[in-house]
Amino acid sequence: MIDARVWLLWALTTLVAASSTRNPLYAVLLLLVTTVVGIVCAPDQGRQVPLSPLRFAAMAVPLAALFNGLTAHLGHTVLFRLPDWLPLLGGLVTLEALVFGATNGLMLTVIFGGFAVFNQVTPVRDLVKLTPRAFHETGVVLSIALTFIPQTVRSLNRIREAQAVRGHRVRGLRDWLPIVVPLLVSGLERSMGLAEAMVARGYGAVSGRAQPLRTQGLLVVGLLALLGGWLAFLFLPSWKGSAVGMMIVGAVIIVGVVWLAGRAVSHTAYRRHRWTARDTLAVLGCGLTLAVILLPLPLMDRGTLYYSPYPRLTLPIFDPLIGLGLLGLLVPAVITTGGRDER
Amino acid sequence: MSVRRVISGSIYVLSAAIGIMAFAYPFFLETRASGSTGITHGQEAPLVTTALVGLSLVALLVELQGQATSAKTVAMLGVLVAITSVLRFIEVAVPMPGGFSPIFAPIILAGYVFGGRFGFLMGAFTLLVSGLITGGVGPWLPYQMFTAGWAGMTAGWLPRNTQHATRSTFQRTRQQATHLTRNILILCIFGFAWGLLYGVIINVYFWPLAVGSTEQTWTPGIGLGETLTRYAVFYVTTSLAWDMARAAGNTVLILLLGVPTVRALTRFQRRFYFEVCPAHD
Repeated sequence: MIDARVWLLWALTTLVAASSTRNPLYAVLLLLVTTVVGIVCAPDQGRQVPLSPLRFAAMAVPLAALFNGLTAHLGHTVLFRLPDWLPLLGGLVTLEALVFGATNGLMLTVIFGGFAVFNQVTPVRDLVKLTPRAFHETGVVLSIALTFIPQTVRSLNRIREAQAVRGHRVRGLRDWLPIVVPLLVSGLERSMGLAEAMVARGYGAVSGRAQPLRTQGLLVVGLLALLGGWLAFLFLPSWKGSAVGMMIVGAVIIVGVVWLAGRAVSHTAYRRHRWTARDTLAVLGCGLTLAVILLPLPLMDRGTLYYSPYPRLTLPIFDPLIGLGLLGLLVPAVITTGGRDER
Repeated sequence: MSVRRVISGSIYVLSAAIGIMAFAYPFFLETRASGSTGITHGQEAPLVTTALVGLSLVALLVELQGQATSAKTVAMLGVLVAITSVLRFIEVAVPMPGGFSPIFAPIILAGYVFGGRFGFLMGAFTLLVSGLITGGVGPWLPYQMFTAGWAGMTAGWLPRNTQHATRSTFQRTRQQATHLTRNILILCIFGFAWGLLYGVIINVYFWPLAVGSTEQTWTPGIGLGETLTRYAVFYVTTSLAWDMARAAGNTVLILLLGVPTVRALTRFQRRFYFEVCPAHD
């Protein structure tokens, strides 16, 4: 089983890759990779996502193509012309605009697909474990919420059954009132009992839990650096290097504050996940993809990442080396298949 | 104490400023889709803003959670987030019309009763937990958490009814009922406004990078008035009908469930947050 942190890195790498290219060939390759990883790593286990990536693609690609085709009247290959009196839509409908819109839809689908796989393969308890130690209270709130969800669903069903026995039927929104209010009150009563149990076990017994002044001060400095850097990035193009440096400093300060605050919180785990060679391999795969996307490596034509169908539609260029680098995202599927064969 | 308050306030203001600048950054980009080619520059900006929103959310959570250390607050927040997340689960399982979502009314009502800080945490955590249980974790999550948090936080700034201790119990009860009805009407308007505002804010971060007709897309140097006009056209064309369902849904939910929910939450607020004051000799 691959570590949840590795899956998070994998999803973020997919996001970076999809955001960094406009070439539909690379987008199709990324979509194939995420689909294969989803099929191999989460064949019938994991959580169901509300919308499958394929269904999302069936909606997003045609809709994006249609919207851009009808509203962007650019390009040389004219398909037909809508009457000029139509507000916003009137004008030429071109093949280039349709392709550009479809490419946008494809990119959205890749991002959606990557995170759909992440959601399917990572159990909720592992996601909660990703909460940094500094967010102890946040972690407790998340744990309570996730623990109480099944209880809330059971309460909802019990209340509905009890009201149904009394002859209550839900026909409209108003009929939810005798269900929602008891659900809320019973939930709050449970929270009262839970709070008393937590106090009885010593939760919050340590005095002076407010953030130290130093922590708050560092947070202010970090946020100021982030904001200053971002403003310089936007308004002072000649200061771009310094602006990026300021933002990095701000990010390091905030991450440092979180790390320092986390050191004060003791943390235990019942069954700690052991880092394995498979995790390392998956990280290396993500690293390969990130390097290909972000670094100006020799022998690679990074210009092929940026494709535009305007002004006249041309075939996008595919660099096999970049394609090979994108296949680094396939590593989780390869090692999962290898692991099954070993068993 | 005052220094701590100033620093704490600075964290709120800076986080909000970074959030606003992250949402509205495309308005300030110097180069982007050029009219004839549609080539988009500044590819790195969406990634940078997602990181910025995430980091400022982290900083704000570090500050806010330091003030929510009481067991009662933690327990109540967890249970209310659970109840609201179940509503989101129902929304995903049973598709609702347009952008209608039953999660905003509880966030607004909780923020109204328990205050802005609780409202922010309730909004942000509800989106996080419901994202976890419905498979909705993605790069959009920090933006959703921030916006829902703002909805809850600003609900805490709405005026509350005041009590006059000198009146009789009957008069006081009647006055409270009148005030609650008036406040529910204010909350309805507030819920309607946030139903639209949520869409406006979530849309705005990608709008200037979208390519479409010149009447509804952004080009450099068109000025603030023209920018707002074009965004309004874009919003009305693509999102208004969708968001109207959310706004109307918020209004109806607050109108139908607002009074009993606020009463229940207020009753528990009194039970949770009583203070024992030592008698003075």
